[in-house]
Amino acid sequence: MRRSAGLLAAALVTLTACGTKAEVVTGGENGKGGTLTVLATSDFSHLDPARNWTMREMMFGSRLLYRTLTTYKAGSSEIVPDLATDLGTSSDGGKTWTFTLKDGLKYEDGTPIKAADVKHNVERSMAPDITGGPDYAKNLLVGGTEYKGPYDGEHLDSIETPDDKTIVFKLKRPAGEFSYTVTLPTFSPVPEAKDTKVEYDNRPFSSGPYKIEKYERGKELVLTRNEHWDATSDPVRLALPDKIHVKQGQDGDTITDRLIAGSGDDANAIGWLHVGQQSLSKILPNPQAKERLVTMVTGCTDWISFNTPKKPFDDPKVRQAVYHALDKEAIQTAFGGPNMAEIATAYLPPTMTGGAKQDVYAIPPAGDVEKAKALLAEAGVALPLKVKMTTTTTSNTTETAIQESLKKVGIEVELNPVDGAVFNDHSGDLAKADEMSVHGWCPDYPNGSSFLPPILDGRNVMPTGNSGNTAFFKDGEVDKKIDEIYTIEDPAASNKAWQELDSAVMRKLPMAPIAWAKRSFLFGKNVTGVANHPVWAAQPDYATIGVKKSS
Amino acid sequence: MILYTLRRLGAMALILLAICAITFSVFYLLPDDPALDACGKTCSPERLADVRHAMGLDQPVVAQFAAYVTGIFTGRTLGTTGLECAAPCLGYSWQYTTPVWDLLLDRLGASASLAAGAAALWLVAGVAMGVVAAVRKGTLLDRGIVLSALTMTSVPVYLIAALLIYFVILRSELLPYPDYQPLLEDPAAWAGALVLPWITLAALYAAMYIRLTRASMIETMAEPYIRTARAKGLPERTVVVKHGLRSTVTPILTIFGIDLGGLLAGAMITETMFGLPGLGKLTFDAIGKSDQPVVLGVTLLAAFFITFANLAVDLLYGVIDPRVRYT
Repeated sequence: MRRSAGLLAAALVTLTACGTKAEVVTGGENGKGGTLTVLATSDFSHLDPARNWTMREMMFGSRLLYRTLTTYKAGSSEIVPDLATDLGTSSDGGKTWTFTLKDGLKYEDGTPIKAADVKHNVERSMAPDITGGPDYAKNLLVGGTEYKGPYDGEHLDSIETPDDKTIVFKLKRPAGEFSYTVTLPTFSPVPEAKDTKVEYDNRPFSSGPYKIEKYERGKELVLTRNEHWDATSDPVRLALPDKIHVKQGQDGDTITDRLIAGSGDDANAIGWLHVGQQSLSKILPNPQAKERLVTMVTGCTDWISFNTPKKPFDDPKVRQAVYHALDKEAIQTAFGGPNMAEIATAYLPPTMTGGAKQDVYAIPPAGDVEKAKALLAEAGVALPLKVKMTTTTTSNTTETAIQESLKKVGIEVELNPVDGAVFNDHSGDLAKADEMSVHGWCPDYPNGSSFLPPILDGRNVMPTGNSGNTAFFKDGEVDKKIDEIYTIEDPAASNKAWQELDSAVMRKLPMAPIAWAKRSFLFGKNVTGVANHPVWAAQPDYATIGVKKSS
Repeated sequence: MILYTLRRLGAMALILLAICAITFSVFYLLPDDPALDACGKTCSPERLADVRHAMGLDQPVVAQFAAYVTGIFTGRTLGTTGLECAAPCLGYSWQYTTPVWDLLLDRLGASASLAAGAAALWLVAGVAMGVVAAVRKGTLLDRGIVLSALTMTSVPVYLIAALLIYFVILRSELLPYPDYQPLLEDPAAWAGALVLPWITLAALYAAMYIRLTRASMIETMAEPYIRTARAKGLPERTVVVKHGLRSTVTPILTIFGIDLGGLLAGAMITETMFGLPGLGKLTFDAIGKSDQPVVLGVTLLAAFFITFANLAVDLLYGVIDPRVRYT
């Protein structure tokens, strides 16, 4: 998942100071009942499981409306079987994956969920009209790249459904991480009879604990219980509220004010979006509001991409000099201060390393100017060194902080503002890109394969349109290591290997990590079980949220 | 009269076609690529080409425009899966996966309710205060009215809205947060959600109408026929309302037609701040999400309302003022 230039983000599983409430406070019988109100500024991007590829909507869809082959535990990046009976079994060296569906699974109309329905949704995600969804299936499955969807009667042979309970995926490469891949909404069931193609986005057919009673796009979504969902088959979703009412089209500041005041029905409400920096300054001094705030790093990392094929940043010493010169505290301030971001010291965010913050260089947060100057001298660079950095015409606070830091060591950074709409085109163009630009990455699932290969694999570098490997970094050793780690089937072992690769690449430093952004969410006093989810960009996990009867 | 009306309707159609062409080419020239926006976070060149084809963006701009205009009259079939967009097809919102026409119809109710209520308020208050100020020219009352009108025109609409939200809703809790419902479904919720937006918009517009009415009225009241009316011994009330106001109203009506026409297509800031599901809020979100078919549709609808209101006002002139009656 590429991060757009204007957004700045990052990660870590610190359930700390801001008062995360992981335990479910019971209201009625087992805390069930009531209506949860969600206050949102605008419509969902997509709820169609084949098109859903934004963290918030992925959380919402796969917690409430559809089940996937595997899913995450509540508030955790650990995966558990969901539709499937286990996390999948691999054969053929990790290139073939087989899942078996649980018995008795049903849709909202009581019809059984079949393996062919999961195959159908994966297929439709590759149709040209069904846009916006994750492309992992397309890239991993044999023949996926050429396949154009099921609507003209063609089917993908690399997905086999020998019976109603079994589904087999044949992949192009060994994929030890495939148990994580199938947490994506692409791997949820859509029965062909209910498939309204493009318009399925307006009314997905439920396999989860809730079904859509009413969806007026941009206005409101009302969810009621799906009576055919079987709680005993579901290890994660508590489905506490009887009803979930998403009110869209509210003003952002008004939402924060309403949640702070929390009067009337607003006591049963939660904000859909995280609160901004200015709203935080209203909430933090207010003790009764502050205890209704949960905060976590987002799981994304922001960094400076160096144009590595081009002088002067073809020399790792010069890149390291820049890294030592950075005043990361000033950059953190540009992000909105410690409430909005943590200082990043590696590519993989702490949400993907079990909380550990890897730090190869151990440079003081405000930088090491002497070491930076020494490295520049060692590299034989003539000072002042003049370089350009791409920025957008609308936002450049981070870039300005970087510019100030580098001035101290004799590097003069000229900012090159371009229209936000063409920022990625410009900085992803091998011929046009400036020497530096700020980028970031968010993983789609907590495994290094969703983070490091997209940003580091030199074989992905194209003449134009580079959105992951924005440093144009090509290193045969790294590419070889990536292929080796793909074949590791044990998730823990593969994550360890990805962390080692992270440290190894940090020494070469094609990109300089700067920040792990944080997000805070505010909720009403009757809302229970609110905890950020480390995988879905710190979004509160709707699997456990309930509403207490007001006293 | 009939010929005049027909000629005006013809001109209106041409204006709308021109606006459509201009807006269409502006979007075509923008650096933003709707296919890339729709395609997803990472998008291979082959996939992008498929998506562009499905959205019809691989056609030359002239062909796209022709298909768009034809679609308004005959409807269209879009995409590669046979997506129907019935006439009048003003394009398809890929963001909302809904035909633009349906979106516009759906949102028109809230915008029309807002515009009608606010217009009634500002027209009555603005004209009444303008007349009072003109008749009491030079008094403390006149100065008070003029000064408050000047203040209201200088205050940005988002400030008025923010102050109302803060004092009326948040501090004193006189009203709940607006939760708009259509008039026919829940009249109380409808009115409750609209009171503050009406006041916000009316405050802004009334100020202009006060100044306009006052200036025009002072001029009229100095006319010889007013002196004659007074000399005939008519009561001052009749002189002011029947003789003075009637000729003052013509220029006000012209402005009113344009203002109301524009507002019917949505008051972006007011609707956004009060969370009203109107055309203004739809446009605000569409711009944020580069949903160009929606922006194009709202632009056309706004142009239609303004030109239509203009025509209606011109035809009304004849009723109000016999001097400009068409023969």
